[in-house]
Amino acid sequence: MKKLMLAGAAALTIALSALTPAQAEYKAEHRGGTMRLVARSAAGTLDPQINYTLQYWQIYQSVYSGLTAFKKGAGEAGFEVVPNLAEELPAASNDGKTYTFKIRKGVKFSDGRDVTIKDVVASFQRIFKVSSPTSGGFYSVIVGADACIATPATCTLEGGVTGDEAAGTVTINLTRADPEFMFKLAVPHASILPADTPTTDAGSVPLAGTGPYFFSAYDPNKGLTMSRNPHFKVWSEDAMPDGYPDVVQYDFGLTDEAEVNAVMNGEADWMFDQPPTDRLGEIGTKYKDQVYINTLTAWWYAPMNTRLAPFDNLKARQAVNYAIDRKALVNLFGGPVLAAPVCQVLPPGFPAHVPYCPYTKDPGEKWSAPDIEKAKQLVEESGTKGQKVTVIVEDTAVSKSIGVYLQSVLKEIGYDAEVKPISPNIQFTYIQNTNNKVQISVSQWYQDYPAASNFLNVLFGCSSFTEGSDSSINIAGFCDKDVETKMKDAFALAATDPVAANKIWTEVDRMVTDTAPAAPLFTPKHIDFVSKRLGNFQFNAQFYWMVTQSWVQ
Amino acid sequence: MIFSLLQRIGQMLFVMFGISLLVFLIFFATPGADPAARIAGRNASPEVLEAVRKSFGFDQPMYVQYLTMMKKIFITGDLTSFVNRGWKVVPAVMDTIPVTLSLVFGAAILWVVFALIIGIVAAATRGSWIDKILMMLGLIGISMPVYWLGEVMNLLTQSRYHDTWLFSWVPPLGYKNFSDDPKGWFLTLVIPWITLSILYIGLYGRVLRAAIVESLQEDYIRTARAKGLSETRILLRHALRTSLVAFVTLFGLDFGALVGGSALLTEVVFGLQGVGKLTYDALLNLDLPIIMTTVLYASFFVVMANAVVDILYMMLDPRVRTA
Repeated sequence: MKKLMLAGAAALTIALSALTPAQAEYKAEHRGGTMRLVARSAAGTLDPQINYTLQYWQIYQSVYSGLTAFKKGAGEAGFEVVPNLAEELPAASNDGKTYTFKIRKGVKFSDGRDVTIKDVVASFQRIFKVSSPTSGGFYSVIVGADACIATPATCTLEGGVTGDEAAGTVTINLTRADPEFMFKLAVPHASILPADTPTTDAGSVPLAGTGPYFFSAYDPNKGLTMSRNPHFKVWSEDAMPDGYPDVVQYDFGLTDEAEVNAVMNGEADWMFDQPPTDRLGEIGTKYKDQVYINTLTAWWYAPMNTRLAPFDNLKARQAVNYAIDRKALVNLFGGPVLAAPVCQVLPPGFPAHVPYCPYTKDPGEKWSAPDIEKAKQLVEESGTKGQKVTVIVEDTAVSKSIGVYLQSVLKEIGYDAEVKPISPNIQFTYIQNTNNKVQISVSQWYQDYPAASNFLNVLFGCSSFTEGSDSSINIAGFCDKDVETKMKDAFALAATDPVAANKIWTEVDRMVTDTAPAAPLFTPKHIDFVSKRLGNFQFNAQFYWMVTQSWVQ
Repeated sequence: MIFSLLQRIGQMLFVMFGISLLVFLIFFATPGADPAARIAGRNASPEVLEAVRKSFGFDQPMYVQYLTMMKKIFITGDLTSFVNRGWKVVPAVMDTIPVTLSLVFGAAILWVVFALIIGIVAAATRGSWIDKILMMLGLIGISMPVYWLGEVMNLLTQSRYHDTWLFSWVPPLGYKNFSDDPKGWFLTLVIPWITLSILYIGLYGRVLRAAIVESLQEDYIRTARAKGLSETRILLRHALRTSLVAFVTLFGLDFGALVGGSALLTEVVFGLQGVGKLTYDALLNLDLPIIMTTVLYASFFVVMANAVVDILYMMLDPRVRTA
């Protein structure tokens, strides 16, 4: 198994990750045709204010727009925020607590109606009325949000979001300065929808948007169709460029093996799921011109419960970090082409990331080899030797192999370890709930937007921990006074001096890494396997492949 | 007659009630199965989690949740999925039935025809090398797991030999509606039909042969021989007819179960959006409303198929009629 993966990975190294320059001119000769995408299954509700999956966030990019957007450019250009339905990014006033957006005129929804101030105000209320997953997180900084979260049905955001029809502006007041607010406005949960959109989860009924496409049909068991929005006119190449294919047909239901076959046979233009490892060799050699590999700003990590023995002991946690052979894990994931070892929280390429690796043979910037001797010694010193430890992993091939590997490492350094794989759909909520008494588990985190707090504060902030709840993303239950104060400092500084704030985030990263509430495992990479006819592939760091920026003829 | 019909309906309701209760209780007894957090989305704040819990009625007592779900399935028909929110479950299941029926009917025709041929030929030539080869092939057919066979078929027809004359006619995986494209419907289903039926051809062929061989020892066959009937007539009119009782029993059960969703592995491998695949996806996602609906639907079909089998018995075997 391992050998096969390695062979596949070696073959993939040949594959190119070509990047075309950002902002290429629109080439009318490629316009038209039907692009067919395939995925194992649908990703839930189509409501852009509720759906919280990368699968749909990727395609929302050419359907819904917010006041701001992440730039539709290749690579890290995607981390840049640009104005979208707002004419420009407003400067903050009132100590960073007030933003006034001038709303673009002449933009139409796919049902032909104009985007008005009313729509914008209503859309912000709707975030709370439909209990969007991030309403209590991202948008709780808006004035009046507390009342809206408590009683969603009567949400008005009084004093928080107010429109001025005459001036064509919308003013948003925050309870505190939030340097990440522009990012938060750019994610699909803040999409602007018509004011009369029902204030319940739209589910499988498509809602009107403002992008170059609209959803013309959706059946979660069969597929999703995107057609051209006849009312679309380009208002910003950066925020909302026009697309090439006339129709994008997204079909659900094939297994990953069948998806690979379909792309190879030219029956599909792209597969959403990652190709199975046994096909990587073939893909990397025979189809190397059709593969794109990109590093993700994400991590695989093993959170350790800091409120439960043995990992309530700092030395025990550090021991695990020293003992893990990250190279072995990378190989389990598919080899160096598909992952890179990591021993800190912030992924490479992320704001505030400065290479740091204390848990290796020769501590420094890079991980080189595990230090088993040191680990054994730390376990000895901690007095936790011989304790029982259960590793909870997802019941998938990769996660299970990682779990079994962790078991062997834990055994080697002196614990009585076992692995418990559970269904992938339960595992993520199961490991969060303190009632389940999970000691160590394997999980992943993908960024929502490019800000250091999206890893550090979300995963290790005191406010992300809720006892006895399935939604307690601080899986390690980590709450450290010093770290918390530092994060507060960083937040406070970010509004005025983002560069200095990022320096503090770098320190926070080190502090968290040193106190080891989790064992960082590796940074995953992403494979896009496309059909022969697909042209102009561009990978955006924020929302991945820009679907409609590619052409099929 | 009316009494036995009522009895049947009573049995069916009882079975369906028992199964639905079991599915419901198992779901909520599973640790970590609480759907609220998964519905709310990752990193939802406690208040949002509470709002979702309330809007889906998870804060109600269990029996109320159960009754609400039953009401939404049978009376209002507006039960929606926990995973693909807003997706109405009953129409979704209804949509998948034609796919499963197309798959299972086609496969059933194949397996009945070929099993009859194999069973009769093997029984007629019992002991000879033809019999031995047929039985051996049957055993091989039974031993091949259907998902493995399906993947191999896919490997051959969709990948390795897709561009050769042999399999270039095989369309991409997925289902095409009969009404839109009859030819496409047929072509996409040929490989799945063969895959699904191979196991049953082997099984039924072997069962039929054994039954015929056994009934050839019966007294009435000796009587028929004594009357001077030809061997062919004895085999086809007398021995085969009673032997079909076992065949039909098996067929009823298998057919019912397959229509009810047991063809799920075949459906998954070939990307056919049938009842089985719907159930499979729902199980992966722990989507209780869909699991509940498809399980009820399946139990309905199994009970129905059994009733039909009982009636067929009476037609086939005169001894059952008087009993």
